[in-house]
Amino acid sequence: MSEHATTVTWTLNGKQVESPPGLTIMEAAKLHDLEIPNFCYHPGLSIAGNCRICFVESNRSPKPVISCSERIAEGLEIQTHSEMALEARNSVMEFQLINHPLDCPVCDKAGECVLQDHSYTHGPDRSRFEENKTIRHTKKLGSTISIWGNRCIVCTRCVRFCDEITGTGELCVVERGDRSVVDVFPGLPIENSLAGNVIDICPVGALIGEDFKFEARIWDMKKTSSVCAGCSRGCNIEVQSLDGFAKRIVARENPEVNEWWICDRGRYDYRYLLAADRVTDASAGGEPIDSDTADSSLNDLVSENGGIVGILVDPMMTCEELHLVNRLSSTLSDCQVAAWSTADGEAESFPNGFTISSDLHPNRAGVGAIIGKDAFSTVAKGLRRSLDAGDIDLLIVFAGFPHPDLEKKWIESIGKAKVRIVFSLQSGSWCEGADLLLPSTAPLEKEGSYLNQDGRLQRVRTLIAAGQQPFPSELVRLQALLTHLGERPRSVSSSGVFRELASSVEAFSDQSHSTLGESGCVLSSGKSAVGSMGGDA
Amino acid sequence: MAEITFSKKSLERYEWLLTRYPSKEAVLLPALHLAEEEFENIGVKEMKYVADLIGIPPARVYGVLTFYTHFRRAGCGKYHIQVCSTLSCALRGSHEVYQRISERLGIEAGETTPCGRFTLSKVECLGSCDTAPMLQMNDDYHEGLDLELVDQLIEQWRAELPEGGSS
Repeated sequence: MSEHATTVTWTLNGKQVESPPGLTIMEAAKLHDLEIPNFCYHPGLSIAGNCRICFVESNRSPKPVISCSERIAEGLEIQTHSEMALEARNSVMEFQLINHPLDCPVCDKAGECVLQDHSYTHGPDRSRFEENKTIRHTKKLGSTISIWGNRCIVCTRCVRFCDEITGTGELCVVERGDRSVVDVFPGLPIENSLAGNVIDICPVGALIGEDFKFEARIWDMKKTSSVCAGCSRGCNIEVQSLDGFAKRIVARENPEVNEWWICDRGRYDYRYLLAADRVTDASAGGEPIDSDTADSSLNDLVSENGGIVGILVDPMMTCEELHLVNRLSSTLSDCQVAAWSTADGEAESFPNGFTISSDLHPNRAGVGAIIGKDAFSTVAKGLRRSLDAGDIDLLIVFAGFPHPDLEKKWIESIGKAKVRIVFSLQSGSWCEGADLLLPSTAPLEKEGSYLNQDGRLQRVRTLIAAGQQPFPSELVRLQALLTHLGERPRSVSSSGVFRELASSVEAFSDQSHSTLGESGCVLSSGKSAVGSMGGDA
Repeated sequence: MAEITFSKKSLERYEWLLTRYPSKEAVLLPALHLAEEEFENIGVKEMKYVADLIGIPPARVYGVLTFYTHFRRAGCGKYHIQVCSTLSCALRGSHEVYQRISERLGIEAGETTPCGRFTLSKVECLGSCDTAPMLQMNDDYHEGLDLELVDQLIEQWRAELPEGGSS
C-alpha cells in the first residue's frame, strides 16, 4: 500500500469493498449501507468506545473489536454478523439490561429508543439476572431537563456534548460501576442555550425534556420536516405534533446548516402557538367578525381604495407570501412595500462553531431578494415619512412576529394611515384601532420557503393537516384578494405560488419546491442579496 | 458559605505539582489529595475551590471524586476506619475484627457515629496480606490484629479525640 493511497481495500461480510482511508469500521460500513448498532457513538462527538454494542469480528484480533474506534486497513476482514459478533452483542445487551427498569410502557423514549431497538434485534429474550437491581436518582438536572437514572446506560454522549460542543461542562458521571449515573455539580444546573440537544442524543430514556414528559407517545405523533423560525440561521427541525398541536421540536440533521443541533430557543419555539394573546379571530373596528365576512371585508377595503397604499411586510413571511405581496403591489396603482422587524436578540457562539444569530427573523434575506434590498432601509424610511405626513390612504401591516419587542418607532406612524388592515400573530398596540384585524399564521403553520442568512433556500412545512386550518392562511387570503382584483385565479398551493416566484425573480429561477428537498439549496445569487442588504431604517 | 483557600504551603505545593503534570486535568488527583490534607473532608465547597483553582468545570471534579472510594467525602468522621476484608484478612479473622469495631462503635460499614468522630468502612485488599488481619485508620496501618488489640485501639482513639472535644 502506498503512503498516499486514496482507497483502502478490505472485506465486509465476505465481500471485498473499497473505502476512503482513515475511516472507522462503523463509518466505512455505513457508506456501504450497513448500519452497525451503537449507543455511545455519535458522529458529532468524540469516540468514547464504552458501550461495546458495536462489536464485530476481525481477522486481526482473537477477540471481537469495537467498530466505532477501530479503523479500516488494507486486507482487514470484518464480519458483522458472525457467531462471535452476534454473541458479543447479545452479551452486551444482557449486561445493559440487568439494571434497566424495563419501564418502556411509561417511558417517553419508547418508540425511538435505541436500547429498545437493539434489545429487539440483538438482545436475549430474557434476563438471567436474579439479584436486586440498583436504584439510581431521578431528578431535575436543569429547568428543562430531568434524568431518570435507572434508565441511564452511561454512554456519556450528553457529558461529551457539554464538554465538546457547548464547552460548558455541566454534566459528569458520578460514582462507579453499576452505581454510576449522569449528574450535575450540586447547585450548578445545566442551563446553556443548547442544553436541549442532550435530550435528543440520549439513546435511551434517561434524559427527558420536562416539556414533553408524558405528553404523547412517539408513534402517535405526526412528524413534519421544517425549518426553525427563531433566527436567520434556519436550523433544520422536525416538528412533532398530535391532533394538530405541536408537542415538541427536535433537531433534524443538516451538515450544511446546523449539523445535529438546535438551540433551546428554537426547540421551545412552539409554545407561543397557544399563547393567550394570540389573535385567533378576525375583527373589524374591534368587533369580532366571522371568517367569510373578514374575507369580503379585506377584498372591499382594498378594491374600493383608490388612493396611496402602503404595505409593511415582516421577515417571518415566507418567500411565497412575499411574492403575493409583490403581485398585489403591482396591481395597485400607487403602492410601496417596506419591511419591518423586531429588535435584535442575543447572538451566541459555541466552541464547536455553532452560532445563534442575533437576527430573530428567518427570512430577512428573502425580503431582500423578493421585495428589494432596501425594503428595510430607504423604502421603509420613505413609507414612514409618508405615514407621518398622513399621505397613506390604506396600510396593510403584516405582524407575524412571535417576539413582543416590535420596532417601537413604527407604532405611532402605523396609526396615522387612513385605513389600516393588520395581519397579526399576537395582539399588540399595532392592532389597536385597526379597521380590519386578521389572524396571522405562525411560521410552524406556514407552507413555503425561507431564505437563510447564507442564501440557502429551505422548505417550511405546516404542522396542521390540510382542511384543519382554523382560519385561511395569508397565502389563501392574498390569492383570493388578487382574484377579486381581477387577476387570473392562481394555484392555492404554496408550490404553485413558488413556481410563479421562480419565473418572476431571477435569484429563484432554477428552483422549485421539489429541488429544495429536505436540506435546501443555496441560491446562486442568494448570497449577494444578503450581503448587500442595507440596515434597518 | 465561608470562603476557603489553601494555605501558602499547599499553594506552593500545588504550583510545584503543576510543573510535574502534563495538563490541568492531570493535576486534579494530586490536587484533591492536597485538598484532603488541607480541608480533611471534601464537600461541595471544597470541590468548587479545587475546580476554580485548576480552571476546570466543577462537574469534572465531582465525577472524579465520586469515582474513587478513597477520598474523604463530606460527612466522613474524623477517624476513618477501613477494615480489609479480602482473602488473607478474611481467612485470618477480619470479620470478627469488623464485628467487634461495629459493636463497640454502634455503627455498620458506611456509617458515621452521631458524634462525628468515627466512620467505619469495609474495603478490599490494602496490600498488607502478610500482616493479616489489618485495618487502615486515616493514613496509618494497624496490622496483625486480634480482638484485644482492636479494643485497645478504640480506647486509644477515643482518648485522643474526646467526644465534644475541640480538635
